[in-house]
Amino acid sequence: MTATADLKEFIAAYLVEAEEHLAVANSQLLLVERAQRDGETNPRAVRETFRSLHTIKGLSAMVGVEPVVAIAHRMENFLRDSDRSGGALPQSAIDALLAGVHAIEQRVAALSRGDDAAAPSEELLASLDSLGLAPVITPPPTAVLDLEPAMLAKLAPFEVDQLVRGIAKGQRALRAEFSPSPERAAQGLTINSVRERMAKVAEIVRVLPRAVPVTEAAPGGLCFVLILLSLASDEVIASAVGLASTSLQSIVRSRAELPPELALDAMDGLSALIVTRFRLARAIASLTERGVNTREVSEIMTDNARQLRDLRAAIVRVRMVPVSELLERIPLLVRGLQRATNRAVRLELEGGRAELDKSVSERLFPVLVHLVRNAVDHAIETPDERVRRGKPEEGLLRIVCGSHSNARLEITVSDDGRGIDRSAVSRKAGRAVPSDDAGLLDLLCIPGLSTREIVTTTSGRGMGMEIVKRTIVEELGGELEVHSQFGQGTTFTLRVPLTISIVDAFSFECGEQRFVVPVAMVDEIIEVDPDALVHVPANDDGSPAVDIISRRGVAVPMLQLAEIFRLKASRNGASKAIVVRRAGAPVAFAVDRMLGQQEVVIRPINDVLVRAPGVSGATDLGDGRPTLVLDLVALSASLNGGANLLPRA
Amino acid sequence: MKLHVVFNLSGSEYALPFDSVLQMESYGGATMVPGAPAHVDGIVTVRGMVVPVLDLRIRFGLPPAALSLDTRIIVTECEGRVVALRVDSAREVLKLDVEKHQPAPSIVSERSSGFVNAVHPLGKRLLLLIDLPKLLGENSHDVQPRALPDDDGSNARPRLPS
Repeated sequence: MTATADLKEFIAAYLVEAEEHLAVANSQLLLVERAQRDGETNPRAVRETFRSLHTIKGLSAMVGVEPVVAIAHRMENFLRDSDRSGGALPQSAIDALLAGVHAIEQRVAALSRGDDAAAPSEELLASLDSLGLAPVITPPPTAVLDLEPAMLAKLAPFEVDQLVRGIAKGQRALRAEFSPSPERAAQGLTINSVRERMAKVAEIVRVLPRAVPVTEAAPGGLCFVLILLSLASDEVIASAVGLASTSLQSIVRSRAELPPELALDAMDGLSALIVTRFRLARAIASLTERGVNTREVSEIMTDNARQLRDLRAAIVRVRMVPVSELLERIPLLVRGLQRATNRAVRLELEGGRAELDKSVSERLFPVLVHLVRNAVDHAIETPDERVRRGKPEEGLLRIVCGSHSNARLEITVSDDGRGIDRSAVSRKAGRAVPSDDAGLLDLLCIPGLSTREIVTTTSGRGMGMEIVKRTIVEELGGELEVHSQFGQGTTFTLRVPLTISIVDAFSFECGEQRFVVPVAMVDEIIEVDPDALVHVPANDDGSPAVDIISRRGVAVPMLQLAEIFRLKASRNGASKAIVVRRAGAPVAFAVDRMLGQQEVVIRPINDVLVRAPGVSGATDLGDGRPTLVLDLVALSASLNGGANLLPRA
Repeated sequence: MKLHVVFNLSGSEYALPFDSVLQMESYGGATMVPGAPAHVDGIVTVRGMVVPVLDLRIRFGLPPAALSLDTRIIVTECEGRVVALRVDSAREVLKLDVEKHQPAPSIVSERSSGFVNAVHPLGKRLLLLIDLPKLLGENSHDVQPRALPDDDGSNARPRLPS
């Protein structure tokens, strides 16, 4: 999945996109320059320039044009700061930015001639870097509000606060403009009637009168700006008040402009706070045991818990990116691939409104690229072949994202191509023909399965699927499924957690060791009645023993966690079982006893020495030692795969 | 002259360049990770990071030792990875003249599975210099399962010269 290998596939589409964004950047910079000459600012143009360069950087990084990335990155950083401080730029900065755009244009032109993009001159980079030497502007809390500085200054701090809180609660912050005129007054529209009607559909934060040049629309030279918070749509508000919906404008800055690094720092800080809180709670508990009156401290701890929850919710919201952001580069990829492979592909994207953690999104993207490339490259037939098979000339590639449950995102990537030839794949892998889709996936994910031959002899897929599986299942703790019908098409289904850092978790004990498991992953916790267990004869292949436990009349397979992890079995036998669902089917894990439920900070376990299936990270329950965070869904998957979990133990 | 951390393992003295050491800590055991190689004790938290603990005795094929008050972990950083090394004790930081490093005699490098790349005579003492990149290298998870010592300790390897 390296960028260099794909360079050719992308480059044609890249050039088209890059040129478009360069044109925007150029024209917007000229607007900035004009405003600067007039002694004004043009924050909108600054932002548009920023967006264009941000996109150019992203595209260039994707196709590996490093010289352009280097230039665009510096410009983007500076523009972001400038945008936060209201869009003011000195002339020297505009000159340097124009030089930067010009340098990018030269490189894009070189690429389109088939030449390499030259490394940027030291001089240019130095001049762009020196822009960043201006004092760092920390964004004030009002940075989320898209209002001219003059108007922002008129808002009282509590009003700004009211807006920021409203936005955080999910309300839309809007400005509406109303210019009184005799004509409108005749229709019953005065500032008082507008206020009254508006109050019914929105929360009016402030009404600011403003002098404007006398025009037909504002014959009195007066305009009222209403600053609002509302959950209603523009149309609803506009029609309730009797204004055109174009007179409404959002004053919330788009989330993409919030610096994600800041959110990550904040998350680290919060993690430390939560760990400290656990330690406090333990200290208080031991004081209570010794007979100290801790009632007041306990009350303070309750407040503290609530504050931490609020803070966490706020940080998580900032870290979340819309799924649409994950998908926005896919059309470019498909366009490039179509050209490279002579396929005709219709792309359907359904992003939905789900949001997911930036760190999840970043891991997911290469996986999507991979699946899309496979679909266009290998699965979808050439137009001629499709016609011969009675299919529409244009292949269909459909990517749908939706929230699977409140903690998981489901993404399906489906094509109407050839489908996978099971017998050919099994021949290649030297295994039996898989009887179901799960078995097929296991074959596809065998590391090192020679891909080229599979691709050419069967036109199925095999290339790098083990990387896809590793990312989805092991890194993200998600699930991967395939459904393929030979001749008809293939669908890959990915389910991943929306966020991976702090989760509500059950803690439990098993074999004298403590573990936690995310609540979202648990279907149910049930009592184990030793008399009601049915023991299933064990294979002698080393796979763990399975019992059958009855849950509301349904037989559920139960595994002994202590046995799987080779822990000391408890003397009294397992008392509880944690039930999870894997691909819809329940699986129970017997454990010694449940300890409680709490929010835990998950720290990743990165080193290869200690990566294990079923372990998604570690957490600190306050004793200074790591406690393993288990992903029982992935654990059951690794067992069902037939693989011996502990080959080395 | 370069600073080195000196530690003790089964009666022999080893040295690691100071600049690859993040910190040293006393050690009261790690959290077991299922399926980890036999020479990995488990994980500990260091500076908010989850770090594997590598038991150097097992890694070098020496008999396992019980935890004591002297047991230390040396947290090392190498090629972007942070790994803690469990050793019998670690008390000294010494300045060593790198010029005086001598290539390890073949018997030493063989017995230490090639993880000792040089020796350093220091008065009556002989320090064994650890090849950290090699120790933490790719093949480090690919070793024999944990062997228990026989009652007479007969499978314990002979001590390295000290």
